[in-house]
Amino acid sequence: MTGRALPLVLTSPSAVIFAATFVAPFIYFFVISFWTVDYFDMVPGASLVNYREMAEKYVGVSVYTLWLSAVTALITVVAGFVYAFIARFKLPGYADLMIFVVLVTMFGGYLMKIYAWKTILGNEGVLNTALMAAGLINEPVSALLYSPGAVVVTLLHFGLPFAVLPIYASMRGIKDIEVEVAHDLGATASKTFTTIIVPRCRPGIVTAFSFAFLITAGDYITPLLVGGKQTLIGNLIAPQFGMQFNWPLGSAMSFVMLAISAVVILVFSRLMAWWCKI
Amino acid sequence: MSIELFKSHPMSRRSAMKTGLAAAAAAAGLVPVRSYAASTVTFLGWQGYDDPLVFDDWVKSKDITLNTTYIGNNDEIVTKLRSGGIGTIDIVTPYMGYIPLLARLDLILPIDKSKVPNLAKIIPLFLNDANVNPGGVLHSVPFTWGSGPMMYDPAALPTPPESWKDLLKPEFTGKVVMMDDPLGNMMLAALIATDAKKPTMLTQAQLEQAIDFLIAVKKQSRAVTVSWGDMADVLSRGDAIVSFSGWETIKKFCADKGKKIEYTFPKEGTFAWLDSYCIAKDAPNLDVAYEIANRVIDVAPQKRLAENAIQAIVNTEAVAALDPAIRAIYPYDSIEDFGKRAGFYSFPPTEPEGDLTTFQQWMKSYERFKSA
Repeated sequence: MTGRALPLVLTSPSAVIFAATFVAPFIYFFVISFWTVDYFDMVPGASLVNYREMAEKYVGVSVYTLWLSAVTALITVVAGFVYAFIARFKLPGYADLMIFVVLVTMFGGYLMKIYAWKTILGNEGVLNTALMAAGLINEPVSALLYSPGAVVVTLLHFGLPFAVLPIYASMRGIKDIEVEVAHDLGATASKTFTTIIVPRCRPGIVTAFSFAFLITAGDYITPLLVGGKQTLIGNLIAPQFGMQFNWPLGSAMSFVMLAISAVVILVFSRLMAWWCKI
Repeated sequence: MSIELFKSHPMSRRSAMKTGLAAAAAAAGLVPVRSYAASTVTFLGWQGYDDPLVFDDWVKSKDITLNTTYIGNNDEIVTKLRSGGIGTIDIVTPYMGYIPLLARLDLILPIDKSKVPNLAKIIPLFLNDANVNPGGVLHSVPFTWGSGPMMYDPAALPTPPESWKDLLKPEFTGKVVMMDDPLGNMMLAALIATDAKKPTMLTQAQLEQAIDFLIAVKKQSRAVTVSWGDMADVLSRGDAIVSFSGWETIKKFCADKGKKIEYTFPKEGTFAWLDSYCIAKDAPNLDVAYEIANRVIDVAPQKRLAENAIQAIVNTEAVAALDPAIRAIYPYDSIEDFGKRAGFYSFPPTEPEGDLTTFQQWMKSYERFKSA
């Protein structure tokens, strides 16, 4: 086998799997997003009716989803950044342990985390019980669970490792001497932070934001279980592939959200680039 | 074989002799014995609906392996059958309302009654229900039923609300729980908030009235849960004290969690439901599927369903054999009266019928509730 053929051979198994499990379904769902449905049967065509319906009926819930996703992503990035910063610069001796702890939290399943938060935030949950025992409240704060905040907290818990790891990886690329040089040249701590550390972490921050944003924008389980009455766009897309038997509309809704999400991430990336140039 | 099985298959002396002779002949190798090759039967249904089959050694004795997939919604049955399930799935357990749709879509088989002798023991009300007989042909084996009562916490509400509309009162703000059960919710809301003769036969205006009512209840609610188990969690934790719609078995779910929850039928009544075993089209193990469908309405499995899951059963002999305390949970002695408080309504039209809204329009309208 020649040296040029070897990489192709080695990557072909994963390429085949990727093509079969991602590219092919992606193309299929994109094609059927232009189809229609007649009595539970899909009718091939080239209609924009599903995209029009998305634009007419689902704008409100889409905007709410994007807003909640952006809030969750920003909080996750900030929390992840702080954690990674402490691990890298403040407690470097414990960095491996801190990152190991982050990895350990990934072992817990997605649903396990959701149910854990239900146990923590419920009327008779750990938090309310503790607050009442401490005499800080007289009756349970029911707004803790079944609220947008509960969705954000749960998704923050789920998404935090995906934020910490890329940001920490970026921070590890910053050599101590770079920070020391900045200090020696008279830069304040905040100046060093904004001109050295944040710009050098930009790829990690954008990656973290992307993960957290996409996880939230595509989620429909967390709002169902801890959101109470919260409905995200995923909660309306999922039934199209089930109860509504309308795969074309579900596909169109998914592709619109995918496109908008890509734009949001691109805008965030540009904002970060702009920040780093200042 | 249990005593109950002998009860359900009384043997005459002649048949006993025939059986004995056949067994002797088979033992001597004189006649072929019908044996069940190891069968892997694919079961797609609600969690717990397989329990009556596997709680004893019946499945093992028949050399049957159940390949079980649980559903979260009835629509999953339609979706899975239509997306590659035909030819691989043997048994599905839909809600009665879906049976006409499944039959119309040619996804389930008509039932050959000669292969399900236990049908003779089913309470006629259930066997004759129009939903399980689309086109006048039996397409399912009904095996359990129930209704959508109001669940409430007697510790917080010593006297339960008399009307569903009471849930809109200020004292219930943030204390109601409902489940994301589109058909049940819309039926119940139509029963309460519209003048429709049947809560599944609605004009567009009536449908919108029902959705408006649901939205009003949602505003009062603490949570819209994803499952009945989740509703039981919410009630058990004290996150809500009363429900819009429900299921009698939630009482047991909550009792298992150490919380006493009761149910009541408000004056407007509610809907009832009937779940069935249906045999999927092109079921790869047709004979075994029939055996299983017959088995699930036999006495022992029915008793198991009633005593273990606290579900209502259909076999008259099993009902007679129930412990009185279990039997008292459901109105077996006044089924007709139960029918007045909880109606077995047909499915909304699946095709346009005059000014009546179709099931697809219901689902579209339900999105307004979901988004509210």
